Amino acid sequence: MSTNLRHAGFRAMGTYCEIQLYEASRISAKRLVRRLIDEVSRLESKYTRYRDDSFLSEINRSAGNQAGIKIDIETQKLFEHARSCYEQSDGLFDITAGVLRRVWDFSRRKIPDESELEGLLPLIGYEKLNWRDDTLLMPANMEIDFGGIVKEYAADTLATLARELGVRRGLINLGGDFAAIGTQPEDRPWPIGITHPEDSTKMMSHFHLSEGGLASSGDYERSFILEGKRYSHLLNPKTGWPCSGLRAVSVAANLCTVAGSFATIAMLKPEQDAIDWLTDSGLPFVFMDGAGQIGGPGLTDSSY
Amino acid sequence: MKKPASRSLIALSTSALALPGIAEADAPPLTSSLSYKISNYQEDDLSREQVPFGELERYDIDVHQFQFVSPLGRDYALFIDANHENMSGASPWFSTAGSNGQPVINMSGASGIYDSRSEVSLGVRYYGARGNIGGAIGYSEENDYRAKYVSMSGSRNFNNDLTTLTVSLSHSDDSIFPSDAERFNRVRHENKQASSVAVSLSQVLNPVASFQTALSLTGQSGYLSDPYKLQDSRPDGKTQIAFSNSLRYFFIKADGALQSDYRYYRDDFGIRSHTLDLSWFQNVTRSFKIVPMLRYYSQSAADFYTNIDDFLKPLSESQSSDYRLSAFGAVSGGLSFVTDFGGWSATLTAERYVANEKYSAFTVAQPSPGLVQFTRLSLGVNYAF
Repeated sequence: MSTNLRHAGFRAMGTYCEIQLYEASRISAKRLVRRLIDEVSRLESKYTRYRDDSFLSEINRSAGNQAGIKIDIETQKLFEHARSCYEQSDGLFDITAGVLRRVWDFSRRKIPDESELEGLLPLIGYEKLNWRDDTLLMPANMEIDFGGIVKEYAADTLATLARELGVRRGLINLGGDFAAIGTQPEDRPWPIGITHPEDSTKMMSHFHLSEGGLASSGDYERSFILEGKRYSHLLNPKTGWPCSGLRAVSVAANLCTVAGSFATIAMLKPEQDAIDWLTDSGLPFVFMDGAGQIGGPGLTDSSY
Repeated sequence: MKKPASRSLIALSTSALALPGIAEADAPPLTSSLSYKISNYQEDDLSREQVPFGELERYDIDVHQFQFVSPLGRDYALFIDANHENMSGASPWFSTAGSNGQPVINMSGASGIYDSRSEVSLGVRYYGARGNIGGAIGYSEENDYRAKYVSMSGSRNFNNDLTTLTVSLSHSDDSIFPSDAERFNRVRHENKQASSVAVSLSQVLNPVASFQTALSLTGQSGYLSDPYKLQDSRPDGKTQIAFSNSLRYFFIKADGALQSDYRYYRDDFGIRSHTLDLSWFQNVTRSFKIVPMLRYYSQSAADFYTNIDDFLKPLSESQSSDYRLSAFGAVSGGLSFVTDFGGWSATLTAERYVANEKYSAFTVAQPSPGLVQFTRLSLGVNYAF
């Protein structure tokens, strides 16, 4: 009954997205897809950094404001998850580290002065955010960026919503962040190819996803090499300098949000620490290290 | 051997599972839906031993239920319900001693009863981040009975939405004006009121099990007797208390869920009852489910129940031969088939109920000759859009 598999491709959250659903009725598949796209649009317009009218921009404009800003439950829970990421990464995954982009410009391959970076470091630190009940008091000039959390959360949200709308089999893909809704017919898992960091036409590995989510993080898209040294776009919030750990990692977990947090944190850790930490989690993963070697327990035909 | 989950996996999963888009938070229904259900309820005929003269046929009721549910914006939902019932048949009028001294029934209405009832209710509910609150008003009418009611309930989630506390309040105000009152010397016009409060707590125990416990208290006052019985005089106040517990457990390997419910009830008419319900929800395919159901019920008799009416007793003293006030036990079994396609779903249910004093868990001093056996068939269709 593979004819019942409906595809819909669209752009959202600055990337290519795809929804695949097994649905017998074409009319209800269209209605479901429209409903799911509405939801991803809602999350995008609420949390994008690129629009002044987003709630995230409003939060960032409140920095330095004595009265603070009232935060709704959904955003509060995103902050709580961000705190959990901050704690589990010993401060490496920090949603306040986005200010470093003010001096790092990866498209112009410019290396900032040490003094410029030092001026920004006091503006970084999740623990500097103050809360009074549901009101956030953010010190002046600080900035929040939910990158590494919101797109993954959106993939899980769409999968949950699809399940509540009666979908039993489907796959959500928001630019490489995947959330599965059940398996394909006959309990076949969803095959997911992981792009090779150095050649987007090749596959580094592939996963078989039956449930839960898969997320990837890598420095292949926005890094540069200058005078023989590689500058990753993933920045260490403690020093302001690029991390020099893994080149790319993909993780599968019960939720895409969890997989994404593991992948992001692993990229920020020193190489061996990252591999040990991922191994300790017991989750399937595959990585490419600084030397271009591919490894990980998810290397061949891993299933989740 | 699977090693235990790492500290990081537990911490990151816990905070991710609390996110509202992932946790199945309180939300209005996602789609509008229209549903219709038709049921046929048919009581078995009585036998000549039970009813020496007159009608043997008992109640037969057809019920049509319509429901429209629609989200209103992101946070509200609207509920409109309409029911219509047509009933015909006869009911026990009075009980006397037969030739062997055993009670026998005399049925009402040689030509039987034909009646219909219509009911509408309208409800609105608000869904917030930590719970929901809503209310409904309703009106029901039949040719000898009118009821108006209002209800309110609110739920609040705690403990990362694993615990839910719900409080419900309701009140109804009914008018009774029996037909042929003059001819049969029945009451002309009476009223009764009922108010009830219920508190329930539900707890998700783990990903496959949840438990719910509830306590409800209801007070009724006014005319609580049956105006169509020759000799029926009940107290003009009644307090009821019910305590229910429900456990739902999903068996992953079997791809099915067991729901078990136990309810204890008592009132100051002297009735105590136990209800035990077991349902098994078996997924057969992704869009087809079979639900067998088994229920046991037993109650003690009301203090003033008699199986042979005493016509010499003054009306100021309570007495009733209504079989629903006698001590008995009942067993019922049912089977439902549930299927869906696109936005459509359909449920077909068959149920058989057998009451007998032999099934009673309580002492039966005076068995009722009028216990019912019934069969109920229903077909429901729902369209979500």
